[in-house]
Amino acid sequence: MTSSSLRSLAGTLVAIAAVATLPWWVADQYQLHLAALIAVYWVLICGLNLVVGFSGQLSIGHVGLLAIGAYGFAILAGRYEWSPYLSLLACGAIGGLCGFLLGLPSLRLPGFYFAMATMAFALIVAELTLALGDFTGGGVGLAVPPFPEPFASPEGFYLLAAGAAILITWLTRNVAQSQWGRGLIAIRDNPVAAESVGVPVFRMKLLVFVVSGMSAGLAGALFGSLQSYITPDTFVFELGLFFFVCIIIGGRGSIYGPLFGTIVLTALPEMVAPLAKLGNLFYGLALLAVVLLVPEGIGRVFEVLSARLRPRKLEHGAVEPDARRLAELLREERSR
Amino acid sequence: MSALAATSVTKRFGGLTALEGVSVELRPGEVHGLIGPNGSGKTTMLNLLSGFYQADEGKVVLRGEDLTRASVQRRARAGVARTFQKPRLLGTLTVLENAMLGSWRETPRRLLPSLLSWPGIRGDEKRNRARAAALLESLGLGYAIGRQANLLEHAEKRFLEIARALMLRPDFVLLDEPAGGLTGPEIERLGIVIRALRDAGIGVLLVEHHTEFVFGLCDRVTTLNLGRLLCHGTPAQVRNDPEVIRVYLGA
Amino acid sequence: MIVLVSGLAAGALFAATALAYNVMFSTSKVLSVTTGHIAMLGGVFGAYVITGLGLSPWLGLLAAILVGGLFGYLTDVIAIRRVVSRSDEHLWLLSTLALATIVQQGVGLWWGTEPRPFPRLIPQDFSAGLADQKYWLPIIATGLLAIGLELFYRRTLYGKLFVAMSEDTFAARARGIETDRIRALSYVIAGVIGAVAGFAAGQLTFAFFALGLTLTLNGFIALAVGGLGSNVGALVGGAALGLLNAFSANAIGGEYQNTVSVGLLMAVLLLKPEGLFGARNVRPV
Repeated sequence: MTSSSLRSLAGTLVAIAAVATLPWWVADQYQLHLAALIAVYWVLICGLNLVVGFSGQLSIGHVGLLAIGAYGFAILAGRYEWSPYLSLLACGAIGGLCGFLLGLPSLRLPGFYFAMATMAFALIVAELTLALGDFTGGGVGLAVPPFPEPFASPEGFYLLAAGAAILITWLTRNVAQSQWGRGLIAIRDNPVAAESVGVPVFRMKLLVFVVSGMSAGLAGALFGSLQSYITPDTFVFELGLFFFVCIIIGGRGSIYGPLFGTIVLTALPEMVAPLAKLGNLFYGLALLAVVLLVPEGIGRVFEVLSARLRPRKLEHGAVEPDARRLAELLREERSR
Repeated sequence: MSALAATSVTKRFGGLTALEGVSVELRPGEVHGLIGPNGSGKTTMLNLLSGFYQADEGKVVLRGEDLTRASVQRRARAGVARTFQKPRLLGTLTVLENAMLGSWRETPRRLLPSLLSWPGIRGDEKRNRARAAALLESLGLGYAIGRQANLLEHAEKRFLEIARALMLRPDFVLLDEPAGGLTGPEIERLGIVIRALRDAGIGVLLVEHHTEFVFGLCDRVTTLNLGRLLCHGTPAQVRNDPEVIRVYLGA
Repeated sequence: MIVLVSGLAAGALFAATALAYNVMFSTSKVLSVTTGHIAMLGGVFGAYVITGLGLSPWLGLLAAILVGGLFGYLTDVIAIRRVVSRSDEHLWLLSTLALATIVQQGVGLWWGTEPRPFPRLIPQDFSAGLADQKYWLPIIATGLLAIGLELFYRRTLYGKLFVAMSEDTFAARARGIETDRIRALSYVIAGVIGAVAGFAAGQLTFAFFALGLTLTLNGFIALAVGGLGSNVGALVGGAALGLLNAFSANAIGGEYQNTVSVGLLMAVLLLKPEGLFGARNVRPV
């Protein structure tokens, strides 16, 4: 093991330890609630990040999938009294299925069309939750059951949500660091080049969209349980916009940037009263500022600053191919 | 029948006929030049072979298998790699990662193994990395391996794109004006690389404006004009063809 | 009959929004998320000037036009100008989305989040039924806007420059056309179109801050159904969508409006992806 991978392992362990022990060092119950909310949001945003941040498909309607997960959990675990754990998994599966059904027609469309399709999806879900009153409680809403012990207490629920968040972070990090991650970035930045090396563009877009649907379904179930009561007004379109903004502000093609974005954008309005009054206006302003000033996201600012601090001289050597070695290499490869 | 061949292909864009009944056969271990004035259909032919366009008439066949309707990706997986007139790289990734992107033939099409980072995936990743590093080294880009691709100079980008194409383990490489924007010595080095590909048994299609470069390098040359075949043969034959001289080379 | 007329009235508003999309798209190749919000501003500022300040309907219309034009101009300056030259095609989507959110939430904070009634523009009692101004005002307004736009394209120098720029921006710039100014002008015109339509349809929609997003979607559906870039298509698409909404609301109830609209969009995209009157694009490689 090299020293740098050792260091990153140590960093990961410290971060996990900090997240796991959080209930014992936060100031009050409210902060614990906030931390649980951030963890739940992150479950969704982390999956969505594969779609928005990596494959470059601008979905602004994931709140629809969140709502489906939350209502699914309320109905399965509440009305039909399924086991909450089974319901949770079922919500993930339902979210994935809905992601598949939404992605199949819309992921072939160009950027703006796709964004509009996802927005329309969110509006349709909102409309149906209101219209199908027998099923969803209509405008009155539904009570959502809590998880049983040991996850019934605020501390327990937080640990459940944090566990899910860590798991999904690990999964997406695996994808990001593999050939799939490079393929997704190629789809985002240069689809023509991606095709030319054989990247199955549509298939990959669809698969990561399904994954994002699953994570949104899971997040929805957790979110519903955390809120304990849901109505159609819980899932306003602006919430979907918020998820999207967290990723763009954090920076595309990164995992920790959007995590940073999620934490800051969730916590900031709660901590700073004037921002809370601005409400969603604040997210619009933040998005505009980032798009105009640092389109690569906040994460990029740190990179640029660190590059300024220790400038490296780039020496452009002449490209001197070694014909003999190249021929040897190619022959060896082709004989296999 | 181990060649990549287009047989009497026609391609129209609206009312404009870009190619009409042209055949090109690209054989393994051979450099095949494709020259002609601007708008003669060279790049259209390259796009038909690599799958970015589909022929209106005629066929594209690889090793006897009909690929006329096959997608770009399917052809890439079958061993047809290409570069672009203007290098298409991923600017935010490093040189090494850009080259690694080319090894898609060995990447699982399922998502689950990558999500769970199965041991097999990690092994692939390691091999892929080593292979890309060795290839870049032999192409003379070893010094730039960790550099971000959008910081490269033009010649470096060209060679990196060739490296990415070679990561496919291709049987055929289609180069779209690879000498464009290169200096004299750089073009010479490009020639060295192309000869090495040929010697390794790869078939190379060279779409180029730089005629001296083409005649010095190619085994066979096809000349197009206004979407039609003008002349086809060895460099010596083409160079002395009166029609080619009249239309393209000039006196 | 009332279904037909109310459907056409709503369709007129969708059609005008689609026209505004087209005007901006022609010079910038941008589909702006703010398009529906322009009409929202027209309605809200009209209601503010007439009811809030107690001024005459003509001044209300003038205010709507000024606000719409100004917002169009600001859209270009803030969200388009700095972004459109960059290679990343997603940036304009993000910047217009940000601006749309800012405007919608800003109006929400200032005007309130409840729909407020829009004043009568012409003295008429409420028993007119089919002949009520809330139906025919938007229809007439959209008709006039469409005719005016067509005359502008055909008869004026600026209109011809628009057409030249929509066909080939690079060639237009090479010939010395100031593409930045033309684009800004097109955004102002789109702002005026949207605001007038939103003002004329105010009695139908009420002055409501969240109208913008719904209109951005429905105007886009009208546009996609009719065919991107075609003004005839925008009118036909808008009318089709308005009628479909009205008849489906009549048949199965009004709770499924978005579902029905999107159903229409999906059907058209599957059967005729370029829309009824659109041009099929050649794939750019």
